[in-house]
Amino acid sequence: MIYSVFLWRKGFRRDDRVNYLLLLAAFVLHTLAMFQRGFSINRCPVNNLFEATMFFSWAATLAFLIVGAVRRFRFLGAFASPVLFAVGVFALMPPLDPPHGPKPEFSGGLASLHAAMILLAYGAFGIGAAAAGMFLTQQHNLKFNKLRAVLSVLPPIQRLDIVATRVVLIGFVLLTIGLAAGGQLPRPEGVTYWKDAKVLWSAVLWVLYAGLLFSRMKFDFAGRRFALGTIGVFSFVLLTFWVTNLLSPLHHP
Amino acid sequence: MSVVVIGLSHRTSPVELRERFAFPDTHIPEVLQTLRNSGLADEAVILSTCNRVELYTSTKLESAQAFQELKKFLAQAHDYPGTLGDELYTLDEPQSVKHLFKVACGLDSMVLGETEILGQLKKAYDLALQSGHTGARLNKAFQRAFNVAKHIRTETNIQRGSISVASVAVELAEKIFSTLSGHEVMVIGAGDTSEKTARALLSRGAKGIVVANRSYDKAEALAKNLGGRAVNFEDWMREFETIDIAISSTSAPNHILDVPRLTPLMKRRHRRPLLLIDIAVPRDIDPAVNKLDNVYLYNVDDLQSIADDYLQQRKEEIAQCEAIIEERVRGLLGHSGHPGHGHSPQPAINNA
Repeated sequence: MIYSVFLWRKGFRRDDRVNYLLLLAAFVLHTLAMFQRGFSINRCPVNNLFEATMFFSWAATLAFLIVGAVRRFRFLGAFASPVLFAVGVFALMPPLDPPHGPKPEFSGGLASLHAAMILLAYGAFGIGAAAAGMFLTQQHNLKFNKLRAVLSVLPPIQRLDIVATRVVLIGFVLLTIGLAAGGQLPRPEGVTYWKDAKVLWSAVLWVLYAGLLFSRMKFDFAGRRFALGTIGVFSFVLLTFWVTNLLSPLHHP
Repeated sequence: MSVVVIGLSHRTSPVELRERFAFPDTHIPEVLQTLRNSGLADEAVILSTCNRVELYTSTKLESAQAFQELKKFLAQAHDYPGTLGDELYTLDEPQSVKHLFKVACGLDSMVLGETEILGQLKKAYDLALQSGHTGARLNKAFQRAFNVAKHIRTETNIQRGSISVASVAVELAEKIFSTLSGHEVMVIGAGDTSEKTARALLSRGAKGIVVANRSYDKAEALAKNLGGRAVNFEDWMREFETIDIAISSTSAPNHILDVPRLTPLMKRRHRRPLLLIDIAVPRDIDPAVNKLDNVYLYNVDDLQSIADDYLQQRKEEIAQCEAIIEERVRGLLGHSGHPGHGHSPQPAINNA
C-alpha cells in the first residue's frame, strides 16, 4: 500500500513491477493463510463475513495478478493496493469473525460452491465497476480535459467498455450458478427462502444485472450509460451487502 | 588524435545553402575515400539530411589546421566558389562528442526530440562502417551516441507526445478506439491538414478513406492519392453509418453538422464511438455535438493546444537530457568534458 502511494507520486508511467511482485507475495501468503484456515475448519473458508471479505479480497488480487501479467495493465496495481488494504482492515473488525460454534453457518460442498461462486461474482462486478470508473474518467477527459486524456495511461475507452461488459457478464453467470447452488441447499426448519432478506436482496441484484446486460444488448445501452449502471449497481452491493447479511437468519443465524 | 565536427545545419544556414552542400548517399563512400586519402582524417562519417550536413572525423591534425583544411575540402567537394563564415560551425572535443550525442537524441533537431534523425545517423554511420572508413574512435563515439539516445528516450519525456496536429489527432483516436484497424475515415473537404491527418491515421492502420468534396474531381484525386474512394458531397451523411472518424475542412460559412442532424445518425450507428476532427475555420461542426454520448469532437485549436503543451513539456526536459549527455561525454572522454576545455592533451577516446 505504501509502495502504491509512492507510485501515485512517482507517476504511473514508471515500471511498477515492484508493486506487482509485492502483491504477488501478499497473494501467496494470503493463499497459505486461507488454506490453513480451510484445513483447520475442514471446509472452504467462506463461512462468515470475515472469511467472505477475505475471499473477496483474495479473488480481486488474483484477478489483478492475471490482468497485470500484461505490462500495460500493471498500473492497475496502484489503484488496487489501497482498496485491498482498506478491505483487509475492514475485515479485521471483531464482530465479523465470531468463533465457530459446534455447527458452522454453512456446510457441505454445495454450500461452498454457493458461497465461492457468489463471492467470485462480486469480485467480477467490482472489477467491472473499476473498469466503468476508468471509462467515465477517460471519457470526461476526452471531452473536456483533452491534454489529460492524451497524457493518461488509461486504455482506450472502447476497450474499457468491452472489458466492463464482459466482466459483468462473467459475474452474472457466476452469480446465477451461485444462486442456483444456494437454491439446492437444505432449508433449515422454520425458514422461508422468499422471506429471507439476503435471498430477496440477491434476487433484486440478479434482476438489476440482468436488466443492465439486456439493455446493453437490446437497446445499445453502451458507453456512459452502461458504465453508470455498472457503478450504480455495484455501489448498491457495497452499501447493502453487510446489512442484508446481518438481517438474514439463513446467512447470520 | 581527436574527434572533430564541421558542418552546417538549419540553425546556421538557409535551405539554399544546405541543399548546395548536401551529399547524395551514392557519393558518400567516394567522398570519404578522397577525404582519407588526402590525409586530413583517419576516420570519417558524413551525415547529410535535409536539415544538416556534417562531417565527423578523427584526425591527427591540430584542430585549427584541421578545420581550415576541412572547410577547403567541403568547398572543393561541391565546387563552391564563395566564402563560408558563420554558416559553418566547427567543434573540437569535448563539444564535438557532445554535439554528436545531442544530434542522436534529437536535441539539435528542428522538431525537438524527433527520432527520425537517429535513424539517419545510424544509416550514415553504417555507410561509413561498411566502406571501412571508421575506426576505434568513431566506432566508440557513435555506439555511445546510439546508447545515450536510447537511454534518454526511455528515461526522459523528451520524445513523449505528438507535436503536430495530425499526430495529435492520431493519438486521440488511439485513446478512443482499441485499434484503428477496422475503422474507416471520412475526409469532408479536401485540404492540406486533413490530408496529412488522414495519412497519419492510415499509417496507424485505419481501414480505409472516404473523401467527399464539393468538387468531385478533387475528391476523386485525393481519394486516389490516399487509396480510398470518393463520394458526392451531397452523400457524405449517408456514409456516417459505416465510418468512425470524420475529418472536416470545408469552406462552408455555417455548421454542416449539428445536434439535430447527428442524433438520428448516432442511433443508426448503434451508438458506436464517433471521432470528429473539425479543422475548418469557420468551424464545420457545432461544438454542442460534443455533449452527445459517444461523440468526441476536436477542433484545430484543441489539437494545436495539445501539440503546444507537448512541445513545452519537451522543452522542460532539455536540462535533464543535457545533464545525462554531459555525464556520458565525461564517461567517454575521461576528463571533465567542460565546454571551456579545448582538447585533451591525452588521447581522447581510448582505442579499447
